[in-house]
Amino acid sequence: MHIADGIVSGPVIGAGFAGMALLAAATMRNIEMDEIPKLSVATAVFFVASFIHIPFVVASIHLILNGLVGMILGKRAFVAIMLGVVLQSFFGFGGVTVIGINSVMMGGGALLAYGVWQLRHYVSIPKKEVVFGALAGALGIFFSGCIFALALVSTGDAFLASAKLVLQYHLFLMVLEGAVTGACAGFLAKAKPDLLAGQRKPQTS
Amino acid sequence: MPLDIDRHAHVASSVQRWDPRIKLVALMVFIFATALLKTLPMVLAAFIIAAVVLLLSRIPLGFVANTVKWIVLFLLPFFIILPVTYPGSATFHFLGIPFAMEGLRLALLVVVKSLVIVMTAVAIFGSVRFDIAMIALQRLKCPSIIVQMLLFTYRYIFLFMAEMERMDIAMKARGFIKGPNLYTLKVMGEFVGTLLIRSFERTERIYKAMLSKGYQGELHTLVEFNAGPKDFVKAVLVIALAVALLSIDLAGPFQIAEQSWY
Repeated sequence: MHIADGIVSGPVIGAGFAGMALLAAATMRNIEMDEIPKLSVATAVFFVASFIHIPFVVASIHLILNGLVGMILGKRAFVAIMLGVVLQSFFGFGGVTVIGINSVMMGGGALLAYGVWQLRHYVSIPKKEVVFGALAGALGIFFSGCIFALALVSTGDAFLASAKLVLQYHLFLMVLEGAVTGACAGFLAKAKPDLLAGQRKPQTS
Repeated sequence: MPLDIDRHAHVASSVQRWDPRIKLVALMVFIFATALLKTLPMVLAAFIIAAVVLLLSRIPLGFVANTVKWIVLFLLPFFIILPVTYPGSATFHFLGIPFAMEGLRLALLVVVKSLVIVMTAVAIFGSVRFDIAMIALQRLKCPSIIVQMLLFTYRYIFLFMAEMERMDIAMKARGFIKGPNLYTLKVMGEFVGTLLIRSFERTERIYKAMLSKGYQGELHTLVEFNAGPKDFVKAVLVIALAVALLSIDLAGPFQIAEQSWY
């Protein structure tokens, strides 16, 4: 879910860009040239995933998958999502002035998802990739929903009710994204585990 | 939403001939000025300016409408949500539901502002080939790693869309029907996983091929930018209009006028 242009106020736009610059500087350090293809692929898949629609009772909603990007790229996920948002703005989808706030909203969620995803090393339960993938996907969206609502509320009281609607929508989206991300994580862990970030090599020797 | 935003970049017009670097900067100033507007008359003025720029660019209007319609559809609910939920006293009640004109004004403001910004973005990126726009970004001191990633990603988007369609057809051919159930979600998760694996393996091959042909992370190009006086006149005009809009908006003759509407 995006924030569109023209909704949020000047200070919120400014805060969005400041947050984006801060997070980008923190996560882009020592980026190597041979990381570019992997980052670009994840960015493109993040972009394309917004065209995957899932039917739900009356409407169909599209996936965001920022949690999945976090699970694949680790801390570099922020750059990928930021560029995805930039590209979407070129196509007139999303917004130009809200690139900052949208990047923080979804990229921040990806970083949080990565943090949650890494916690799987501390437990040993069956199918832990599925469980933690689902948690990471759900919490990534939860974070996005919170930032979205916060941006609306700090713009003005008139958006208070809209912010509540946005939060409710995201709570519901959390469940869907969690299920999809969990299934995807389980599949990747079986089919190509080295795609996942922070995967520990099995002990040799 | 047409993904090849530069489909009509070959159409000759005064906007198309505008130096991409200067066009980008000038219209971005206009976009940010629009985002900060608070009064309806000024936003309508911005709409007229954006429409004039678009008409001058000669990008087919059907194409523009196709790009813009999504954002309008996305924002339509505001026309209902904002008037009904606006805090304070309602202007009138309709079937027991409060309806605040102030909320309607706010909704109109938001939607027209969005429209203006998207229209301007189409004017920028629709009137120049995408790769040239990216080179312009690089000349504007945008980090080269970002420009390269944007170019790679742009290329991959079309590739993966096609891949996704193929996989979708394959799933349908095997009798998969999307439905609101857990099974669909699981299959969609595995669908995304397969898409990821295929894409990664393909791009690894592409990248190795590029490396073996001497790619070192730099973009060499024969594109030369020559900014003439005409380019600067256009930029000054657009930026002056943006500043004028914003200062009239802040000075506030309309803010007072609008308060007396209701």
